[in-house]
Amino acid sequence: MTGSSRLVWDGETLATALGSPGRRFRADPRCFAGEPVADAWAHVCALPDEDAKLPYDDVTVQQARRDALAWWLPRLGDSLVCLTTLAVDPVNFGGAVTVATHPDAFADDPFARVFPGTVVRTDLFCRVPPPPGPALERYSGAAWPGGSFEPRRNR
Amino acid sequence: MAVDAALATVPAPGSAFPDLELPDHTGRLRSLTEIAGGDPLVLVTSRGWWCPKEQRFLRGLVALQDELEIAYSRLAVLSIDPPEVSAAFRAGLGARFLFLSDEERVWLDALGLSETTDTVHHPYRPATFTLFPDLRVHRAYNGYWFWGRPTLEELRRDLREITRAIRPDWELA
Repeated sequence: MTGSSRLVWDGETLATALGSPGRRFRADPRCFAGEPVADAWAHVCALPDEDAKLPYDDVTVQQARRDALAWWLPRLGDSLVCLTTLAVDPVNFGGAVTVATHPDAFADDPFARVFPGTVVRTDLFCRVPPPPGPALERYSGAAWPGGSFEPRRNR
Repeated sequence: MAVDAALATVPAPGSAFPDLELPDHTGRLRSLTEIAGGDPLVLVTSRGWWCPKEQRFLRGLVALQDELEIAYSRLAVLSIDPPEVSAAFRAGLGARFLFLSDEERVWLDALGLSETTDTVHHPYRPATFTLFPDLRVHRAYNGYWFWGRPTLEELRRDLREITRAIRPDWELA
């Protein structure tokens, strides 16, 4: 897999470049590993404030992930480009970004129950299939739904 | 997709389950390898939403999904229901796991899982396979008779056995 996991948010603009102003997160690197989708829409449920974080294991964050698997991602349908949570560190969740080619459904984003959502235009993200489920736990601190134990398989 | 129907052999324990690629309940193509994602996988073939036995069995699996979600294990259900029907059935069950649609019956005969007694729907024969991440079959259950299906305890046992085999840090010491 290629692609950086760095994503920076200043409250108005998303960026991936090193040194970009704003709060720095780790995202699912698959979201940046392919051909970016031009003129997409991102729903950024995160705040630039460094204190705006919760443990991934917080029940609110767990339930938002369950809801994403159950009905959020299927509702987005073909307009979905990708989804990533935003890891602050190996323990803490700083928010989530859902990217789509149309912003109509963003009002129902379950991650907006954790941190308020802001809709912005973006050219940063490529298409990543939504997680097949039902894994909700993270793999070694990776930003859900990224990561896997795949290198260890077949032992 | 061309599938060799002449194979017509139900995957047995120790053999490799074919890496099917079929639309999920949203219509997106998914391979079994992608669904497993390096984790143990429970694959259920199901007659379809209309069968009372399937409804009951899948409600049981919904009760297990909370554990699967935090235990690095996957679950998928394969039937001939179209994606939009599977999506509605999934939502009605409260399921968060994935449904695969073989509406065109591409794999039905190749897997040897055609339900011969149902000449109306021509569905899958109910079966459950517990698979290693590389899709090797650990156990296979014939669910034609309802009591042939695995209990949740049997699935827990299988997933424990597979996890023990694939995770090098399983043992305490």
